[in-house]
Amino acid sequence: MVSQQELIREARENGMELLPLEKDTYELFFGPQHMATENYSLILKMDGNRVVKAIANPGFLHRGFEKLAEYRPWYTNIALLLRICVPEPDVPEAIYSMAVDELMGWEVPERAQWIRTTVLEMARVSAYLFWTMGMAFKLGVYTAGQWAAAYRERFMALFEQLTGARVYHIYTIPGGVRRDIPGDKWLRQLKDTVEYLKDKLKDFDNVLFENYITFKRLEGIGVMDKKFALEEGVTGPNLRATGVRADVRKLDPYLLYPELDFEVPVLREGDALARALVRRFELEQDLYILEQLLEMGPPSGPYKVEHAGFKALPRFKVPAGDAYAHVESSKGDFGAYVVSDGGNKPYRVQIRGPSIAHGIRVIEQLLVGARLADVPVILVSLDNCPPDIDR
Amino acid sequence: MSLEKEQVIVDTILQKAPYAEGKVRRQRRIEFKIPADRIRDFLTLLKENNFESMMQITAVDWPKDGEIELVYQMWSYTYAVHAFVKTRIPRDVDKAKVPSVRDIYPAAETYERDAHEFYKVTFEGNDKLEMPWILEDEDREAGVSHRKDFDMLSYVKRKYKLLDRFEEDKENYVI
Repeated sequence: MVSQQELIREARENGMELLPLEKDTYELFFGPQHMATENYSLILKMDGNRVVKAIANPGFLHRGFEKLAEYRPWYTNIALLLRICVPEPDVPEAIYSMAVDELMGWEVPERAQWIRTTVLEMARVSAYLFWTMGMAFKLGVYTAGQWAAAYRERFMALFEQLTGARVYHIYTIPGGVRRDIPGDKWLRQLKDTVEYLKDKLKDFDNVLFENYITFKRLEGIGVMDKKFALEEGVTGPNLRATGVRADVRKLDPYLLYPELDFEVPVLREGDALARALVRRFELEQDLYILEQLLEMGPPSGPYKVEHAGFKALPRFKVPAGDAYAHVESSKGDFGAYVVSDGGNKPYRVQIRGPSIAHGIRVIEQLLVGARLADVPVILVSLDNCPPDIDR
Repeated sequence: MSLEKEQVIVDTILQKAPYAEGKVRRQRRIEFKIPADRIRDFLTLLKENNFESMMQITAVDWPKDGEIELVYQMWSYTYAVHAFVKTRIPRDVDKAKVPSVRDIYPAAETYERDAHEFYKVTFEGNDKLEMPWILEDEDREAGVSHRKDFDMLSYVKRKYKLLDRFEEDKENYVI
């Protein structure tokens, strides 16, 4: 059979006027209005259905958190910095508080450590559920997405009882937590929720994770290897999907994690499917951690450090120096670098979001050669949180 | 709590880099101070010594000293150790220059863009510095946005055309 190229060549040789052989590329603006991009934008150079070049533009969210933090007293920064990541706002609170604790030289009370660990794990579970919802919607498995949203709602209700707010909690403060847990009823409710969700994971498997569509859509797209991921500074589930057994909770233990027993799931393939499955296994491990914490029970004692500064928070001062604290969030290694010059306001705060690594350079390289229909799936499989990038 | 592992890492690196000063800060945190022109040599050395990932580059403005401090933060998965590499460069916009480390740690490109936009530090060899992230026009009169001498009040007044209202009730606008 004569190929199309040969026909065209023959026609050219015979002196026929035809369109140029090279297909024209065109520019496609993908986001920020597109549902998959989440206030994030991509400029794609397309050749038909294929991406030739991608340029990421996260600059829609710049509210200057880091600059504003220099104008506010140490404690009020909590209410500002948590807005960096909407699905899990407890993580920026925790890292900032841990860095300030280190500068102050405080040993946080055991009860506060237990509460902080529980809150961080609850945040991880609800962030994974949020991601599951996004992924299910992108794949067209709406049932699983709606379940995930509904189960996350239970955690939101628990957060509301604990902190007084559903989304932005403003709960972890330097020296402990803002208030005590509401009582045994709350602990019972958390236990019920964890058990309930553990049962329901099977349904997620049946409908979403063991689904033929999921495998066909996710397998072999957006592949990155171990060396590439390490060089680009990719962390968290995305790194673990390439075969590196790295978890801040194991490598640089904080709070109660040294006493807890859990596994770090690792897959080798490095494609979107591996990233999705690592998150699925993580969800199970997080529920297991919450079970252990509930079995342990909150230790008695104070829930925050008592110090003279509490009576006059605007005049609360932190000794000069710098500190870096990081935790394992659902998106990866979340860190805060805090510098103090001995005043009542931070001299410099820089938050290191996990998305800054894979939100710009990695996505620009992974998208080359991808089909247009796969672009949202690759984006969601990386679990970007755009405010991390453009703080 | 023993700090043997950290001390061994610091000693090994200082042996190969006599121009650097190093110390152990606490468990899993080490710190180096180096001159700005040796940054490429030093980061190459760190990469050879199993510091696989760059976590971020932080710029801290110290107007009293007339200097900007750059903190390169490295993480080693092999040792589970976080290294701060600190270097100081002059604060003048013409002199605030440092060689780019983009080819050693590709992730550095993003952080260099970040530091360039907010602190006007030029990383020589990085051709993506001019791609802006703040979409709104930069206010040249107010200064470089994240430096300490940036005049936030006058910026806000001009930006949001609050000049007249400011004059009327100054006390209600506290920034």
